[in-house]
Amino acid sequence: MRMEHWWFTAPLRLRSILRGSRMERELDEELQFHLEHKIADGIARGLSAKEARYAALRAMEGLEQRKEEIRDRWGIHWLTDFVDDAHYAIRSLRRAPGLTAFVTITLALGIGMTSAPFSMVDALIFRPYPVAHPGRIVTLVTTSHDNSLDSFSYREYLDIRGNAKSYDGVIANGNLGAAGFSAEAGAAPRVKGGMMVSGNYFQMLGVEPQLGRGFREEEDKAPGRDAVVVLGPDFWKTEFASDPSVIGRHIRLNGRDFTVIGVAPDSFPGMQVFARPDFYIPLAMARLFSTNPQKNFFEDREDRELYVKARLKRGTTVDEARNELAVLAKNFEREYPKVNHNRGAAVHTQFEMRTRGDDVNWKFSVIFAILALAVLLVACTNVAGLLLSRARTRTREIAIRLAMGAGRFRLIRLLLAESLILACLGGLGGIIVGYGGIQFLGTFRIPTELPVTIPFRMDTRVLLASFALSVLSALLCGLAPALQSTRADLVSGLKAADANVPGRKRLWGRNVLVVAQVATSLMLLAASFLMVRGFRRGVDEGTGFAKDHLLMARFDPRLVQYNAAQTQQFYKLLTAGVRAGPGVRSAGLTQNPPLGLDDFGRVAFVPDGFQMPRDRENFTSTMDTVDEGYFATMGISILRGRGFLESDSGDAPRVAVVNEQFAKHYWPGADVVGKRIRLDSRAGAPVEIVGIAQTIKYRDTGEKPVDFVYLPLAQHPIARMVLLLRSSGDPLQLINSVKDSVRKLNPNLPMLETRTYEDLYRYSAVEGPRVAIELVGTMGAVGLLLAIAGLYGLVAYNVSRRTREIGIRMAIGAGRRDVLRLVMRQGLALVGIGTAIGLAMGFAVERLMNSMLFNAGGVDVAAYVTVVPLMALVTMLAAYLPARRAARIAPTQALRYE
Amino acid sequence: MSKPNDLVQGTLDLLLLKILALEPLHGWAISLRLKSASGDVLQVSEGSLYPALHKLEQEGWVAAEWKQTENNRRAKFYSLTRLGRKQLESEAANWQRLSSAISHVIQLSEA
Repeated sequence: MRMEHWWFTAPLRLRSILRGSRMERELDEELQFHLEHKIADGIARGLSAKEARYAALRAMEGLEQRKEEIRDRWGIHWLTDFVDDAHYAIRSLRRAPGLTAFVTITLALGIGMTSAPFSMVDALIFRPYPVAHPGRIVTLVTTSHDNSLDSFSYREYLDIRGNAKSYDGVIANGNLGAAGFSAEAGAAPRVKGGMMVSGNYFQMLGVEPQLGRGFREEEDKAPGRDAVVVLGPDFWKTEFASDPSVIGRHIRLNGRDFTVIGVAPDSFPGMQVFARPDFYIPLAMARLFSTNPQKNFFEDREDRELYVKARLKRGTTVDEARNELAVLAKNFEREYPKVNHNRGAAVHTQFEMRTRGDDVNWKFSVIFAILALAVLLVACTNVAGLLLSRARTRTREIAIRLAMGAGRFRLIRLLLAESLILACLGGLGGIIVGYGGIQFLGTFRIPTELPVTIPFRMDTRVLLASFALSVLSALLCGLAPALQSTRADLVSGLKAADANVPGRKRLWGRNVLVVAQVATSLMLLAASFLMVRGFRRGVDEGTGFAKDHLLMARFDPRLVQYNAAQTQQFYKLLTAGVRAGPGVRSAGLTQNPPLGLDDFGRVAFVPDGFQMPRDRENFTSTMDTVDEGYFATMGISILRGRGFLESDSGDAPRVAVVNEQFAKHYWPGADVVGKRIRLDSRAGAPVEIVGIAQTIKYRDTGEKPVDFVYLPLAQHPIARMVLLLRSSGDPLQLINSVKDSVRKLNPNLPMLETRTYEDLYRYSAVEGPRVAIELVGTMGAVGLLLAIAGLYGLVAYNVSRRTREIGIRMAIGAGRRDVLRLVMRQGLALVGIGTAIGLAMGFAVERLMNSMLFNAGGVDVAAYVTVVPLMALVTMLAAYLPARRAARIAPTQALRYE
Repeated sequence: MSKPNDLVQGTLDLLLLKILALEPLHGWAISLRLKSASGDVLQVSEGSLYPALHKLEQEGWVAAEWKQTENNRRAKFYSLTRLGRKQLESEAANWQRLSSAISHVIQLSEA
């Protein structure tokens, strides 16, 4: 019935929309036709022409009203009404340009401040994988005591792929880290970052290469056989100038020729948030890129380097997949008790992976977003207050409209149209502000040769969100004033321009706004202060070592095909060479400089003579591999025992240096020098602790003290090392002499990431916090500014509305002081309530941030001590000025004031 | 919206449908027909006639067409649609049920 109904009436409705004027004409004609007959009828009955016409019109009971009724029947009035509303709203906003501008700017700040953090939240949490049907992609992880999100080994991956029934496909990928790339065989290699992927990677994700093809299954079968490569879209653009003839060409990766078979599409920058692989190679080529020569990637079940993702079959739930994987993990544990002891497995959705507990980025972004919403809330409160005042002065106009028969709903719509237009203007401005904000986020550059990107951008998702926010804020700011002003009592509304009896109810709405302003801005302020202080403390607290006069350069002799022995020899000669150079005070090698961009490795160990808990095989700790010059070069003091010596060579007894925290952790109160740990397990190689190093900041400046183990390079060979030089003068002056030393050893070996250590430190430990501090600081400042402006406006308005009341009070004998006291007391009471709520909210936010991010300490008393009196002062001033004016004018005048 | 005087609410639709079921008519003719057919008992206000007609048109029960009258004037003629005929049947049946029920009640109270 409904369908049929629409079928018949749709053309009619369409006609009334598209051909409104014709419908109008026809309606006129039809009614005219009736009137003429009626008049003729009347004349025939003996009435005069004039009387007959009058009678005919009277029988119609109001021609225009009937027409309006009929137009309503056409069912398009909502549309024409809306157009009318919009016209009217624009006209009335034009008449108040100051208000329009203020509201637009306020909303623009509020919305813009929100869209920048939203772009972060979106990029870090919500943006789906850039693949077909991303919702069904899940991540598989193994779980152990120390790592609930561990990766899989190649063997385990094959087993899961072969046995799991829940998926349409299971893919694996591994990070290559840095690889040496040259477009032609002869050229010196440069460092690029790629990814090794399983043969079904592109096909399972549903990613069609824009050029050439993806991998075939058989290209991933035989280790080392098929040297094929798929290029990333950005890499293709920058390195090959988007040349389509690149397909079939050979490029060199870590000294081996690879055939380019395809280029990934622009729509697929990679599966990770921050990294965009330059190229993809099959897992079968892994050995060429291996970072750990002691492990056999294809055989060792504990060589866990692979991240595994799978596509759920249609109709299979995540829980079913979880149960299945749990069973597989149990089987692994039974079959390989040594390497899989106490090791489980889990399936996570994209959202779960993005919001994992050990990742602070998303937490920051969520907190940014919450703060931004608070700013928006303040902005909306401001605008609501303004619109409310405006609506109150329009009481008479609204009363007239109501008296003439406008429906309340219709009026509310009219007023909402106004706020909607304001919000749209604000939204446009907000997009501009937001764009600026996102550009600002983009100014943070990560200094690495690897393809790392800042994923925050202004895209349709962010635009949509900003637009939704605009509409939401229109409702937020517009609805309350619209509701309140159309509730006006008709009679008093018509009598006075402004029907304001000092009733509690009337003022209630605005008082709530004042309280909300104070509370929100205090909360915002507390949060900003706390975050700024948290970041700054991290930067200021010091790192425990000397950052100045240090030059660093990274080497990877695998780029020139050195084997392990050649590599060791190279480092020995290199350090000896540079140490002899002029201006060099000391030189050292490390796998990772502290506070750098790469994470430290972990070492599994059992402290000798330590009663292990029954359910664990070993403990793990972060670790670094360094040479004998490292501690002196970095200025890390050895508190007890000794650092590494040249005599700690490959065939000498194995030794380690641990930090103070580690010593305290495992042997509290005991002398740790001379104690031994065993690597991997109870049966592992014994390593003697020969020294205790001072605990420094390792991964970020805000971290709490962590356990740390140093192993000597000679006993724990690593190919990719960083050379650190302490200079007596400007460290950059040393670059040439280092280059000379390297050239003497091998002219083809590139020096990577050559810069002063301070440079690296600034980027990794100062710049990020700086961006955060500025962002949060701006937010806090904008929020506070808006709040103060709004607070002043609201209070001043509230008081000026009471001019009449003040006149009456003074007429019946109140003194000026009484009046002032009355007004000020109320203002202070509001600020007091707001402060109390704001303090409570501030405490809650501080709790939240301390538990989520960093320990920035307790309540920031200084912040409150400065801001609360400021708020009180502003309120006092806002109340005082209009009150004084009101108290000054003669009561007779005040009584007539409106 | 003005209510037709002395008409049970909703019956105006029924009357209009019934009149149009006989032949297509323009508004003025409908008002005349209403009056004469009910022996001047039913005074349908002309003010409510046209809104009602337009409502029937919107519901899809009647269709409108501009045609020449016998004295060669252009007028909007309304005619019943298939859907309108169904509506008429169900409304007429409803009316029958309602009126017989009401007359039953009235007779009861008099007996």
